[in-house]
Amino acid sequence: MTRLLWLDYLASLRERKTYVAAAMLAYAVLAIPLLLADPPPHVREAIAAWFDDGDPFAVFMFVWIDLVMNKVVAFIPVILASGVVLRERDTGVLALLAAKPLTLPRYFVVRTISACAVMLTLYAATQLLAAAWYPGRVAGFRPGAFLAAMSLHAFAAVFATAFAATVIVAVGRRGAGTLVALMLLGVMVGLALVGFYQPEWYARTLANPLTLGALAMRDLEHVRASLLLPPMLALTGLTAVTIAVGAWVVRKVEA
Amino acid sequence: MSASAMAITVEGLGKRFGAVQAVDDVSFAVEPGEIFGFMGHNGAGKTTTLRILLGLTQPTRGRATVLGHDVVRATLDVRRVSGYLPASYALPPDMTAREFLLYVAAMFAIPPAQARARSEALLRRFGLEGAADRKLRGFSTGMTQKVGLAQALINEPRVLFLDEPTSGLDPLGRHELLEHLRALSQQQGVTVVFSSHILSDVETLCRRVAALHHARLIACGEIAALKREHGAATMDELYLELVRRQAS
Repeated sequence: MTRLLWLDYLASLRERKTYVAAAMLAYAVLAIPLLLADPPPHVREAIAAWFDDGDPFAVFMFVWIDLVMNKVVAFIPVILASGVVLRERDTGVLALLAAKPLTLPRYFVVRTISACAVMLTLYAATQLLAAAWYPGRVAGFRPGAFLAAMSLHAFAAVFATAFAATVIVAVGRRGAGTLVALMLLGVMVGLALVGFYQPEWYARTLANPLTLGALAMRDLEHVRASLLLPPMLALTGLTAVTIAVGAWVVRKVEA
Repeated sequence: MSASAMAITVEGLGKRFGAVQAVDDVSFAVEPGEIFGFMGHNGAGKTTTLRILLGLTQPTRGRATVLGHDVVRATLDVRRVSGYLPASYALPPDMTAREFLLYVAAMFAIPPAQARARSEALLRRFGLEGAADRKLRGFSTGMTQKVGLAQALINEPRVLFLDEPTSGLDPLGRHELLEHLRALSQQQGVTVVFSSHILSDVETLCRRVAALHHARLIACGEIAALKREHGAATMDELYLELVRRQAS
């Protein structure tokens, strides 16, 4: 199954939609310094109040996580995962592949992990590009803290990909499933940082996987393993459970 | 030949989809290494029977085995020794022919070196070397069918299920395909179940046939003997006589 996973990953990397996603991410990296060049004072003040900090790096991280990467994890995972099993079924490829000695649940697991790996590849490349591009262009940019914070957020991106694959398969139709996955991820993104704005809701928002992905925002001065590891483990567990649910649901799909 | 020595046994097989009886009490057996014809009109139940034999559809009654493996209880064992070319399918448009064959080989857990050797041999056999690194989205019907057959052979199957494999092919492509199948049976001892409503193809290739009509098996045996029994000179006459007799 490892070999199949590798070949599927390579094939997925070469698909058009992957190129489109890569172009979107490259645009985001290049555009952010321009957007951040002169943020309105009320935005600076609001962010300083929410994160108890007037540090320009905190402003940047808010913009990068909430306005860029959280939007990315609402869209790109859905694009990458919309083809898992259902596209093969709709186009007729599954008619060939379903007759091989691999059950449909296992095939779903392979395709979903492959989509997650593509998402992680795009995500990591984006963060590395940003870490190389932003010093000197973004005020107060700290590459080490940036990469540490985004390594946690990467787990949320992987979860979002597995979640989108499972939701789309559960709905059973690609178009409708894509819309439902977009809507659900949109809700999670919309509520991801509510706990920072409304501290009394903070504990409740920890049930949101995308909040877990942004927890490094709590203390950007001291991003450390003890802050990052628990949410990473929680997101890994959630991703595994989500893929397992998808593998159970996919049995209803007729090849 | 005893039942246990048969490549495929089908006993009282039935499949119902809601109110529709797709396969009704079908029984037959296929000898190892033979090319067995499976004929009938569209919707007669040929595809459903093949899907049951590959474990893609669960039967509502009866049982079947492929090389001794029960098609319900040992589905993956059946698929390991089988190749399948469905009537309607598509190839992944963003893959090349070579990549797709290696991908299918990985589904059988064939070691990479062996998979590469087999895919190169199949690409040569079907004259696809020149197009091996082209995206499959641009392939013609004939080339698609060749890749379809190549993927069905990547695991060196002992049983090959082909559902309407000559549909959409031009006369030359049809002739080539039938020659490939004959060679597989004669040189490698592959058992072929050849499902088609193109009766001339069935006659060209098969010694024995099963005829399905409205989900039921209406005849099974050697083509020559069936023709003699029903006073038919051609396959068309034989099939029409079988259907008429069934109607009366």
